[in-house]
Amino acid sequence: MKQKNARGQGASAFMALSAAALAIPGIVSTAQAAAPIAEAELGYKASAYREADIERSKLAAGSASRYEIDTHQLRFISPLGRASDLAVDFSYETMSGASPWFIMPGTSGNGPVQVMSGASIEEERKDIQASLGHYFSSQHAAKVLLGYSTENDYQAVNMGVEGSIEIPARELTLTAGLGFSDDEIEPTDPEMPDRIDSASRSSTTAFVAVAQVLNANTVVQGSLSMVTNDGYLSDPYKKVWRADLSNTVADARPNERQQLVLNVRMRHYLPAVRAALHVDYRFFDDDWDISSHTVDLAWYQNLGDNWQLTPSLRYYSQSQAYFYGPFFYNARSDGYASSDYRLSPYGALSFRLRLERNWGEFSTNVEWESYRAAASLALDDVGVENPGLVEFDILSLGLKLHL
Amino acid sequence: MKLLFLFVTALLLSACAVEPLQAWDRGYLARPEMAWDPDSLSASQRNHVYFSKEASSGAASAGGGGCGCN
Repeated sequence: MKQKNARGQGASAFMALSAAALAIPGIVSTAQAAAPIAEAELGYKASAYREADIERSKLAAGSASRYEIDTHQLRFISPLGRASDLAVDFSYETMSGASPWFIMPGTSGNGPVQVMSGASIEEERKDIQASLGHYFSSQHAAKVLLGYSTENDYQAVNMGVEGSIEIPARELTLTAGLGFSDDEIEPTDPEMPDRIDSASRSSTTAFVAVAQVLNANTVVQGSLSMVTNDGYLSDPYKKVWRADLSNTVADARPNERQQLVLNVRMRHYLPAVRAALHVDYRFFDDDWDISSHTVDLAWYQNLGDNWQLTPSLRYYSQSQAYFYGPFFYNARSDGYASSDYRLSPYGALSFRLRLERNWGEFSTNVEWESYRAAASLALDDVGVENPGLVEFDILSLGLKLHL
Repeated sequence: MKLLFLFVTALLLSACAVEPLQAWDRGYLARPEMAWDPDSLSASQRNHVYFSKEASSGAASAGGGGCGCN
């Protein structure tokens, strides 16, 4: 636990020990305790997300400049009485740039080429999420979550509940939750051919998680989530090239999607080097035939009393949706078709570096991430790479203030 | 369902071999860098980006809604 000052050090150490003594990883998604937050905290982060320009050899038409997103995030957490706590997250994003539109066959010998949206898109997004946790005892806790997000063309309302039970004799914490999101889409420029006026979609998530303390240095968590998406799941801004028509048709996806997600996480502390190793693995599978593997490794290295350096590596690989193609020679019998790079087969590698400095009452951090997606990084062989695959960098500056 | 059964069985079996820790043995587990997500702002932003740019998403959480991300 970060310490404020000499007096605060004692109090913080006592709170950490008390929290640790009470319980094990629980509903608060930390490896601390199923106990209310001990002190109020305010966090702020500013991030600049920049996608690399699309290569000229892969561009058929439109702008080569891709998305830029500037994000401001605020987080406030506080105890509420002796047995409850509150967390509120607000984020504000401004987005601009061009986005992949559709893909055309390339000239002989070359791969398919991307047509980007011409005019620069300008959008903003605001999102607020709040959660209220209540701790009935040191072994039973519940949390209620509410959220709202709005964009120029998209609104989403979400809610959820989570419950947690601890079994101290086995160093085990069981958590289960249920979440629901109701989304409305109202695309800009609805007068364009094939573009819908408005549509809705919903998403229901159910999960179970088990956290297990293995010893004084190691804790693991496994979780299984099932997600059902219903409604309009196509992308109203994307098109698909049909060679038989020499023209485009609208992106068309099934109206239902069932997803299964298995997550395994481990945290291990190495006292000899004052570092923590994080290992995360996720397996994803859905009824669109997409399956993926994600591995995330992070090393939290304490340097002296006040510095922490964290290098991280993330690898991701996915297979394609059954109705995906870079372009189509004719219509599929089921009527579905999408050329979205996000449904194509590829792999991605990202590297992150984070530096944090603790100043007593507050801490600051800077973080940089570099992400690159390519067909050659996929676990399976990929015949044709989608020309719209993304590369981006994110630079973030963060501040955390203990109130 | 088979996956769920294997998952629960493996975790319950692992729990059988674990001895309860004493309060004074929990200092390392309580360290902030041992949290599942030590920087929650960074984690939520990263998850939002991956959700927007990849076909997969999902974690042990009942929170969060969709977005019209391009």
